[in-house]
Amino acid sequence: MTHYLSLYWAFLLQQFKSYAEYRMNFIIGASSTFFMQAANLLTLWVVMQQIPSFNGWSFYELLLVYGLITLSKSINHMFADNLWTVGRVYIRSGQFDRFLVRPLDPLFHLIADRFCYDGVGNFLVGFILLVTALMGLNITLSPPMVFYVCVAVLSGGGIFIALNLITCVSAFWIMDSVPVTRAVFDNHLFAQYPLTIYPRAVTLLLTWLIPYGFASFYPASYILGRDVSAYVWAGPAVAAVLLFLGYKFWQFGLRSYSSTGS
Amino acid sequence: MVSALRRHVSIYSAIAAIVPKRFLAFRLWFWISLILRVIEMTILVYFWRAAYAESASLGGLTLTQTLTYILLAQVFESLSDQNLIWEFGFQLREGGIIHMLVRPVNYQASYYVQALAGLFMQLILNIPTALMATFIFGLQWPTDVAAWGAFILSALLGYTALFFFHWCLACITFYTTEVWGLGVLIYGLTRFLSGGLVPLAIMPTWLRTIVLAVPFSQAVAVPLNLLTGITPLSEAPAVWLSQLTWVIGLGLLSQTIFRVAVRKVTVQGG
Repeated sequence: MTHYLSLYWAFLLQQFKSYAEYRMNFIIGASSTFFMQAANLLTLWVVMQQIPSFNGWSFYELLLVYGLITLSKSINHMFADNLWTVGRVYIRSGQFDRFLVRPLDPLFHLIADRFCYDGVGNFLVGFILLVTALMGLNITLSPPMVFYVCVAVLSGGGIFIALNLITCVSAFWIMDSVPVTRAVFDNHLFAQYPLTIYPRAVTLLLTWLIPYGFASFYPASYILGRDVSAYVWAGPAVAAVLLFLGYKFWQFGLRSYSSTGS
Repeated sequence: MVSALRRHVSIYSAIAAIVPKRFLAFRLWFWISLILRVIEMTILVYFWRAAYAESASLGGLTLTQTLTYILLAQVFESLSDQNLIWEFGFQLREGGIIHMLVRPVNYQASYYVQALAGLFMQLILNIPTALMATFIFGLQWPTDVAAWGAFILSALLGYTALFFFHWCLACITFYTTEVWGLGVLIYGLTRFLSGGLVPLAIMPTWLRTIVLAVPFSQAVAVPLNLLTGITPLSEAPAVWLSQLTWVIGLGLLSQTIFRVAVRKVTVQGG
């Protein structure tokens, strides 16, 4: 474990060195996510100017939900972005074979091969939203609550990574896994808003099948003192189970991998 | 001998198997894009239902009016699609722009007809979206023939104005040679300012003024307001006239900017 951590650090340092060469790209990449989010947030703001509450949720409560999902997403975006491109960049070109001949876990090598700086923008947006929401709601987080938020965000990140891992395995058979990953990933957009606004089928989907609900809605409900069902504690367990399943599925896929030979 | 043959068969069949895999990936994208669209429309519809949960009218619009507008904006989303910035960036990088400039055709006109043909194709490809909007989300199509006529003319004018506007923006790449950041910025601005996410009527006055003062809304919000009856048909001629002013103004501006900017062209390769 320590060996892998120190290796990850070494990989990361190398990448930062190369990013430092292209500072402008770093800034543009990191701010690009901001522009993507701005349209949705502005929409939310415009609507909330007109109505007293959004089906029982105030503007700042909505920002909390939105901020939490953005933070969770940023974890995946920064540290596991290569799961998106494993088929397109590594398998199709034959580069993936490089990972197989090294004395490292291929999955670790794949993930450590890239730190995606665009995710830093997402992290900052999420963090600013979270702080704005808490200030707007006059909530001061006690130390245990700060810990809860950190765990919730990390679990949410774990759920994002696990779902991308499970879907990216399809690259071993169909080469390009982006469509499959995207079809599952985009369901996180539901979790940008409280799940209570959707029909029951969507809530069930986002809780039991594609559980992005644990990355935003359930922890937000707990922070706001809204809903104290067992769901608010389930995030870490859900993430752990999904990551375990994802890793097993990855190993299964790896066994049926045949190189493209280029 | 047999083993060598078997080895060859196995190698070449693996190479041949790449083709159906690639083909499958393209087919897959089509179906996946439908799933993505269902997700997007479900979110939009339930977002607006929640917004209307405690008020019968927002900015003078009922829930049905807003949903009709929002779903039609999804169906006609391609009206705000312009890829000139990416195209200019690509031509600069690959050096293709040199060949385009020496050809005995009008550079801008050749892109304009391509954009129109692309729009037509996109609208056809969006038929599944229209069907889903109708049968899953209950989109009520406007039936007034005059409103459709006013919409089509207004959409064409707005699309043309937007084309010229993007032409001006794309000229920036001649100076910066950087495309990604500009492209993403314009994408984000278009998403909100085109009026496809929020009807203009619901925006506060100052914001609406800004949105109408920049060209993005000309291709989506302005024509859709005519189609959905938010703008009365009696005002259609005034709308067309204002759009025509946009077209002429931006058309002249785009040509001027291009004449100046093209001197700065530095191709990166080719």
